[in-house]
Amino acid sequence: MADRVPSPLPGEPRPLAGVRPRTIVIGLGNPLLGDDGVGWRVADEVEELVAAAQAAGRPIPDVDIERLGVGGLRLMECLTGYSAAILVDAAEFPDRPAGEVRSCCFEDLADFAAGHLDSAHDASLRTALALGRRLGASLPDDIQAVTVQAHRTDEFSEELSPEVSAAVPAAARAVMELLAGPAAIQVQMPKSAAIG
Amino acid sequence: MERITIDPVTRLEGHGKIELFLDPDGEVANAYFQIPELRGFERFCVGRPVEEMPTLTNRICGVCPEAHHMAAAKAADAVYHVDPPRTAKLLRELLYSAFYVTDHTTHFYALGGPDFVVGPDAPAAERNILGVLAKVGMEVGGQVIQARKNGHNVIEMIGGRKIHPATAVPGGMTSGITEEERVEIEKIGRWSIEFAQFSLGIFDKIVLGNDAYKEMVLSDGYTNRTYYMGLLDANNKVNFYDGRVGIMSPDGTRVGTYAPAEYRDWIAEHVEPWTYLKFPYLKKVGWKGFVDGVDSGIYCATPLSRLNNADGMATSLAQAAYEKFYETLAPKPESGGKRIVHHTLATHWARLIELLYAAERMVELATDPEITSTNTRVLPTEKPTEGVGTVEAPRGTLTHHYWTDERGVLTAVNLVVGTTNNYAPMAMSIKKAAQSLIHKGQVTDGLLNRVEMAFRLYDPCFGCATHSLPGEMPLQVAIRNSDGEVIELLKQNC
Repeated sequence: MADRVPSPLPGEPRPLAGVRPRTIVIGLGNPLLGDDGVGWRVADEVEELVAAAQAAGRPIPDVDIERLGVGGLRLMECLTGYSAAILVDAAEFPDRPAGEVRSCCFEDLADFAAGHLDSAHDASLRTALALGRRLGASLPDDIQAVTVQAHRTDEFSEELSPEVSAAVPAAARAVMELLAGPAAIQVQMPKSAAIG
Repeated sequence: MERITIDPVTRLEGHGKIELFLDPDGEVANAYFQIPELRGFERFCVGRPVEEMPTLTNRICGVCPEAHHMAAAKAADAVYHVDPPRTAKLLRELLYSAFYVTDHTTHFYALGGPDFVVGPDAPAAERNILGVLAKVGMEVGGQVIQARKNGHNVIEMIGGRKIHPATAVPGGMTSGITEEERVEIEKIGRWSIEFAQFSLGIFDKIVLGNDAYKEMVLSDGYTNRTYYMGLLDANNKVNFYDGRVGIMSPDGTRVGTYAPAEYRDWIAEHVEPWTYLKFPYLKKVGWKGFVDGVDSGIYCATPLSRLNNADGMATSLAQAAYEKFYETLAPKPESGGKRIVHHTLATHWARLIELLYAAERMVELATDPEITSTNTRVLPTEKPTEGVGTVEAPRGTLTHHYWTDERGVLTAVNLVVGTTNNYAPMAMSIKKAAQSLIHKGQVTDGLLNRVEMAFRLYDPCFGCATHSLPGEMPLQVAIRNSDGEVIELLKQNC
């Protein structure tokens, strides 16, 4: 049996030609379940903003942008090889208004129910990251989360509810500010808050 | 006693709710189980072309997209009255077998395994894959990751993408595989056989070698004598991709088999006022309440069901494991002649036997002379009407039923997902587990985990595609005394 897993795990998102990007932005969610798809929409908008910034010659770190509907081990496997990650997801914090955008370090999220960061069918992302690190995988030290408070995520629809749709530009700007550097992080999450 | 009404709450805030009612002696009299449900899928699909369904239904479930992909492709074949070429069926089943290796591996090491390998009463922080690896060796973690990587690579080679395959279409597959890919897939299959045997070895040593675990597996609290459902090949052996649906009674008599399109002749749904979920049951036997036994039409569809339902496994190593399974847990046949294991925790062992079968089947399919043929599709020519496609999802028999107009545009859709089959058995398992853990009004420590264990073994798919259900299922258990007052409220993750 192998003593360690080679790092990074092969088969993960391919780097841009030449230099491997150090940051990955992942829009998490299910685009068929209403507001649960907001992460993907934000990823779409971030992609346009990054392209516009590059076209305008503005400095922007090399970044890969993915859209995924996974959690746990699978999500960890997709983070290997990057030094920073920004995860964008719908949230269901208690008593928060639909459309509210929040940014924080992943570590500051409560230790359960962290959206697509967890899966009902394998390990939580927290556990999966710990596993990956123990196995020697190259995983980001810096993981940030941008969340958009959802209204409905349990009904099949390709549409976002109006408040959530209106929040997509703000969430994309929050991602761009994180890409610009840690000083731009806006809101620190209280440790007792939870998603979902 | 005050009358308590349990509303079928419209939104369960992303978590499951269990209400336990105690009798005047403090024993569990009734248990009601409510879980979040995803709504509106049928409405969502109407008006779409049926050939979209294999890639659309991929996205229903973030965990078993491959299962929906295959069921949808088969239903679309049926809608167009077309029979795919043999190579297409081989490729679909090969992809599906690789998916089973990945899915069952993940479940055992990350979800089911922790309960046994670490122990059901260990602190929550240790009851996860890291706790398992601390006991069996960290290098096993590398193997688990390798098994998953292998599975994703095979799925990508055949299905075009790592997780959400896109190549099954009405009439077959959009493309085949090269000889180079075939060699790689065969190699992965052989590696997977060794890994499956290693995993069975862990179970043997750590679970069966531990008297306390064995006692728990055999305990009445985790025993349900229900009917069992699963797909059977022409020799009545387990098959995940195709076959007739078989039903086995709890007394070891085969009730019969049916073509997937006949499901409505066999299965009806029972409605309860306290939940929007419906409880499927066997029409021939009838609904008799949340009870087990031959007179109750409740059935389940799980790895354990598939093994109970079949005459054996179609590959030699899995067959040997199957025989050992029954010799250990059900040495005496039931009155109908077949050995049946009614101990629900044994589902975790059954899952590993299926893992071995899936790996052996990968090698069989990868070495079939027609697997690299380029004849992978028959173009549909008949008018589309209606069709049913059924596969075994890891968590139960999955059925897609489509109706279309003459252009192949959907007019109606019905899905029976794997977990739906298991709603009634889950409710019974929860009640039994609770009954064994609450006596004279005293709640045993670890009730929440033990109750969750009772339904987690079904590997349930509760709104699994939403973000609001984490690895530790958000769950609230309210325990009420005989006056209906809540005497204890236990919560996890909510």
